[in-house]
Amino acid sequence: MAQRGKDGRASDRAPGVILREPAVALDPRVRTLWLVENLIGTGLVAALVVAGAIVAAMLGAGTVAWLVGGIGALVVLVLAGLSFVAANLDYRHFRYEVADLGLYVAGGWLWRRYQVVPHARVQTVDTTSGPLMRALGLVSVEVRTASASGSTTIPGLTPDVADRLVEELARRAGIEEGT
Amino acid sequence: MSGSDRPAELEGRLHPLAVIIVARRFVGASLIPAFAVFLSAGTRVVVPALLLALFVGLPLAVLSWWRFHYRVAGGRLELRSGVLSRSVRTIPLERVRGIVVTEPFLHRLLGLVRVEVEAAAGGGSQSAEISLPAVSRVQAEVLREALLGAAPAEEEAKEPPPLYHATPGLLALGGVTSMSYLLAPAAIVGVMFNLADDLPGNVIERGADAAADRFPTDALGLALVGVAALAIVLAAAAAGSLLVDWDFTLRDEGERLAAARGLLTRRLAHLDRERIRGIDVRDTPLRRPLGLASASAIAAGVGGTVLAPVLRQEEVPALLRSVDAAAADPSTLLVAHPPPARSRRFVRALAVPIVVLVVLAAFAIVWAVALAFVLAALAALLALDRYRQLGHLFDGRRLVLQEGSLRRRWSELDPRAVVSFELRSSPGQRRAGVATLTVHLGQGAGSRRALDLGEGQAAALLDRVGPELFAPVLPAASQPPPAARSR
Repeated sequence: MAQRGKDGRASDRAPGVILREPAVALDPRVRTLWLVENLIGTGLVAALVVAGAIVAAMLGAGTVAWLVGGIGALVVLVLAGLSFVAANLDYRHFRYEVADLGLYVAGGWLWRRYQVVPHARVQTVDTTSGPLMRALGLVSVEVRTASASGSTTIPGLTPDVADRLVEELARRAGIEEGT
Repeated sequence: MSGSDRPAELEGRLHPLAVIIVARRFVGASLIPAFAVFLSAGTRVVVPALLLALFVGLPLAVLSWWRFHYRVAGGRLELRSGVLSRSVRTIPLERVRGIVVTEPFLHRLLGLVRVEVEAAAGGGSQSAEISLPAVSRVQAEVLREALLGAAPAEEEAKEPPPLYHATPGLLALGGVTSMSYLLAPAAIVGVMFNLADDLPGNVIERGADAAADRFPTDALGLALVGVAALAIVLAAAAAGSLLVDWDFTLRDEGERLAAARGLLTRRLAHLDRERIRGIDVRDTPLRRPLGLASASAIAAGVGGTVLAPVLRQEEVPALLRSVDAAAADPSTLLVAHPPPARSRRFVRALAVPIVVLVVLAAFAIVWAVALAFVLAALAALLALDRYRQLGHLFDGRRLVLQEGSLRRRWSELDPRAVVSFELRSSPGQRRAGVATLTVHLGQGAGSRRALDLGEGQAAALLDRVGPELFAPVLPAASQPPPAARSR
C-alpha cells in the first residue's frame, strides 16, 4: 500500500487504469443478446430511412428520395457494423467481482465506468430476465442500493451463476433470503 | 425512542377554523371568474352567484372538514378524507421521516399551523407527503410527539443559544449576492408567486402587462430601463431573501435540529441528526470577496436542508462542528486537480463561443463579433475559475469535494455513508489521464463528484478513503486477479 507515490504517479499503473479489472466475465451468450438488441435499434433506423425515402418519392421529390435512401443505407450499414463491434467490445469490457467488502463492476469501452458498491450498502438483490434473455437462457442480477443512481445491474449470467451470485451478495449484505 | 414511549392512540380532526382556510382558497380560486362574471353580467347575476357560493361552498367546506379524520394507532398514521369520493391513506410510523410545520399568513392570524408529514415511499428514494392543512399549535405538537416519538420541545424555557441566527442586514446582503437571479430566475418568480399568493387579486400580472405597453426603444431609454431593472432585481432579491429567511433560527434539539424561518409564512422544519450524510457550503463570486457563504445539510430523505442561508465565513467552522462533530475545516487547502482538467474546462467553455465567433466573423457582422468576443472572454474567465475551484481532500475522517464557480460548492461527507463509488472516464479523459469520481449518498441525498481527478490522485484518494474496500481492486495491490472465470 505504501509503495504508491503521494500523487500516484510513481506507481506502475498503465495510463487510463485506476482500478484493476474485476476477475469475472459475463456469459459469452450476452454478446448475442446485445447484438440482437443493437440490431433491433439498427432495424428501427432502417425502417425510418425506408419510410422517409418512400414519403419523399410519393411527394415527387425523386432526388431527395435517392439522397435519403443513399445516405440512410450508408448509416444503416455503419450502424450494423457497429452493432457487432459494440456487442463484442461491451462483452470484453464488462467484468465483475465479489470481494470481501464490496461488489466491483466495470463496464463500457468508450466511456469506462467502474462501480464499487460496499456490501453493507446493498438493500436488495433481484434477478430479472426479459423474453429475449429467457430465449438465450440468461438472467441479469440487479443490485439495488438506497440510491437509484448508485444501483447496478450485471446482465447476462446463466441462471445457476446468477443464483449463486444473488445468494452470495445477499449473504454478505445481510439480507434474508426470499422476498 | 422506539414505539414503547409513544402514546398508544391519538385521534382528531382539523381545527374548526380550518373551514376558513378552505374557504379562503375557494375565494382565491374564484376571484378572477367572479370578476369576469361581474364585468360581463353586472350585479343582477353577481348576487345570486355569491349566494350560491355561500350556500353550496360553505356547507361543502364544513362537510369536508367533518369528513377529515386523522388517527395514530397501532403503529400507523391514518388519514380519512373526501366528501364524494372518500380516501384513506395509511402510513406506517417507521416510514415517517420528518414533520414540517408551516404557518402561512392567514394561519398565523387564526393561530393555526399546517403540518406536513414526510414519509419514505415503499420504493426507495422518492418520498410521499401527507398534509394536514390546518390544526392548532397544540395539536401539531401532540402529533409531532406521536409521530416522531419525541418529547415536546420545552417552549422558551431554558433554550440554549441557537446554532445560527440570521440578522436582517445579513439576509438582505445575502439576497443581493446570492446570484440565484442570474442562474435561476425561476426562484425569483417563485418568490413573486409566493407573495402573490398572499396578495389579493392578480396585482403582479396586471403590473407586468402595463409595463409592456410603455417600453422605450431609444438607447438612453434602454440604458435607463437596464439600470432600473438591475436595481429592481437586486431589491427583489434582497426582499425575497428577507421574506423567505426572516429570523432564520437553527436550534439544537439533541437528536434533531430545528430550523424556523419566514416572515409572512413561518416554517419550522426538523432534521434528524442521524440522517445527515454531510454538509454543503456554497458561495458565489459576489459572496467570496465579502466573506459570505451559505450552509446546508446533505440529508437522506429530504436532500438538502438549509442550515444557514447566509453567514460569515469565519462562523462556518463552528456551525459545521456543531452539526457534525468530525466536520472538515473549510479553510484547509484542497488538493488541486491536474492541468488537463484546466484544458478541459477551457474546451467546454469556449467550443461554442469560438464556433459562433468564426461564423459571425465570416459574415462580417461587426457588433455581433465584438459581443461574441466579449462573451468568449467571459467564458474563458469562468472556465479558469471553474478549474481553480476544483479540489478534493480526505482528512482521515471526512471526504471533501469542491467544484463550481458561479455557484461554488464545497461538500464534506462521511465516506461510510457512501452507497456506491463510481469512476467514469471518457476517451478524452483517458487521453488526458483524468477521470471523474462520483460518490452516491443514497435515499435522496444525491451524489457529489470530483471532476477530472488525475488518475494517480484518484487511486491515492480511494486508497485513503477506503483502504480495505479498495485494496483488492487497486492495481498496486500485488495480488494477481484470481483465475476464477465463469466458464
